[in-house]
Amino acid sequence: MKLTGAMQVRGQIRPRKSNGALARLLGPQPRRRDTTARDGGSTLAWNIMTLPPLLLFIIMLIASQSLFIAGSFHRDLGLGRTAAAWDLANYVRVLTDSLYLQCLLTTIRVSAVATLGTLLLSFPVAYVIARMRSRWAMLLLAGIVASTFITIVVKAFGLMIIFAGNGILNRVVMGLGLASEPVKLLGTETGVVVGLMQFTLGFAVLLLYSVLQTIPRSFEEAAQAHGASRLRVFWRILLPLSLPGLSVGSLMIFNMCMGAFTSAALLGAGHVLTLPVLIQQTIMMQVKYSMAGTLAVVLLVVVLLINLVSLFLMRRLRAARTLIA
Amino acid sequence: MKHGVLRRLSMRLEAPMGRALIWSVVVIAFVFLYAPMIVVAGASFSGGAHGAIEFPPTDLTLMRYRTIPVSQYRAIWFSLELATVSAVLSVAIGVPAALGLVRGNLPGKAVIAAIFRAPIQIPAVVLGITLLQLSYTASDALNLDLAGSFTALVVAHTFIGTPYVIGTVTAILQRFDRRLEEAALSLGASPWRGFRRVTMPVIMPGLYAGALYAFMVSFSDVPIAIFLAAPDSATYPVEIFQGLEQNFDPSILASATLVIVFCFALMLVVQRLIGLETLLRTGGTGRR
Repeated sequence: MKLTGAMQVRGQIRPRKSNGALARLLGPQPRRRDTTARDGGSTLAWNIMTLPPLLLFIIMLIASQSLFIAGSFHRDLGLGRTAAAWDLANYVRVLTDSLYLQCLLTTIRVSAVATLGTLLLSFPVAYVIARMRSRWAMLLLAGIVASTFITIVVKAFGLMIIFAGNGILNRVVMGLGLASEPVKLLGTETGVVVGLMQFTLGFAVLLLYSVLQTIPRSFEEAAQAHGASRLRVFWRILLPLSLPGLSVGSLMIFNMCMGAFTSAALLGAGHVLTLPVLIQQTIMMQVKYSMAGTLAVVLLVVVLLINLVSLFLMRRLRAARTLIA
Repeated sequence: MKHGVLRRLSMRLEAPMGRALIWSVVVIAFVFLYAPMIVVAGASFSGGAHGAIEFPPTDLTLMRYRTIPVSQYRAIWFSLELATVSAVLSVAIGVPAALGLVRGNLPGKAVIAAIFRAPIQIPAVVLGITLLQLSYTASDALNLDLAGSFTALVVAHTFIGTPYVIGTVTAILQRFDRRLEEAALSLGASPWRGFRRVTMPVIMPGLYAGALYAFMVSFSDVPIAIFLAAPDSATYPVEIFQGLEQNFDPSILASATLVIVFCFALMLVVQRLIGLETLLRTGGTGRR
């Protein structure tokens, strides 16, 4: 069952890759090998060009990652010193101490809600821009890109001003009589969610724009011409066609949220602890390098696991859909 | 019958209502994206009682701008230097990497591409502490004082900037018609001349876009610099971050506004240079 699904999916993709009919019309095509043979020397030159940067990256990755992973298996002795003996004490503590587990759950919860909110806000924006015919589309897109160029510290600062007890948000809310006393957002999970959304929204729009742009407008027009309502067009055409890109995109947004430090730290204001914030505090305040390393490993592994599981589920889902269709 | 009328009516109403709904989301999204910046910039012109932040501003004054302390200017300058050096190095490493990645025939290209993307897939905080430990270890091994140095920051920011250059240049190269260069070669140009006169002009926009992204990644980074920067050489974002967490100085409003204006201006310049479309097409997603 699983196998057939995978095979079907693979079988679907293959014909698109090699346009067989066209290739046969053009006759035998030794083109690729031909150029390689002709400028074999220059291909070698291109290969040699990649090697130094690649080597640099591998060294940097291995050196940095192995150090901290190895470090996470030692015990902290205080004052930044770590024991020489190997042990699992840090991991046992992280996986049994309710403080750390709470923190992990908070990170996942906040990230999931922020991802959902970001998707709900960014999809309509990306759709409108992707379907605009005028130069306004470029202008709106430029507005999105420009907003992503401003450091999140400044944006989080702006949000802190807006959320303050006597800030503009509370004056509006209380002025409208929606609340009798100031709404507290700073230092709450809601505040952190808004901060994370501020962090990811621009990227999400750009991401979804590139996905929605690939869906031909004619599909929607055809459906509408046959009397499908807008909601139905969204449900039956836009959503299924954008689903592969949408699901990968939402994973990317989720990953951004899981790793987000600045916005979570500033809007959490010390009351909401997510893993990245806790990692920074463990080093800066407690000076426990190996504990911070352990938390970093846990963060990496959890993010990786969530990604793998959801990619697996998506593949199963798609395979099931192709079987039904 | 009655249902038919209702249905037709609802169909007639649905299009404008749907449009109104979708456009209101667009407006909300843009307000949400820009509100924090507008509030910071607006409050920077308000004098207010000393230390109080007011938005909308009650009076218009440049007082906050006059009282920006030297330390903040120094932090901005430090960040500019750091971002420039990192962007230049990112280009120097990223362009050959992208050329080889697209044109070479190394086995396992997908894996190589993944390795080049790795620095921006790892959560920034994790990268921050790993690079901090690396700088300690390297300092011990080489008998240098790397921890908290400009060098350590440059290495770290080049590490996260290079993937963007590789991304933008790769995006351009993949659309590039190699026959142009082959034509130059067959007309008697030397390989170097063909590369310099045909390929270079084509990838230049990708190079500029990549350099801009690398610059911005460095110029806005907190989670890596907060570990690597020494107390006396903080980058500007770290300086604001610490200011917001510890001793708040309202002149941050003014310097932050200057930085916002600078970033927009820089984007405009690059946009003039390579065109908005190239800037948008070559990337811009997945930054921190």
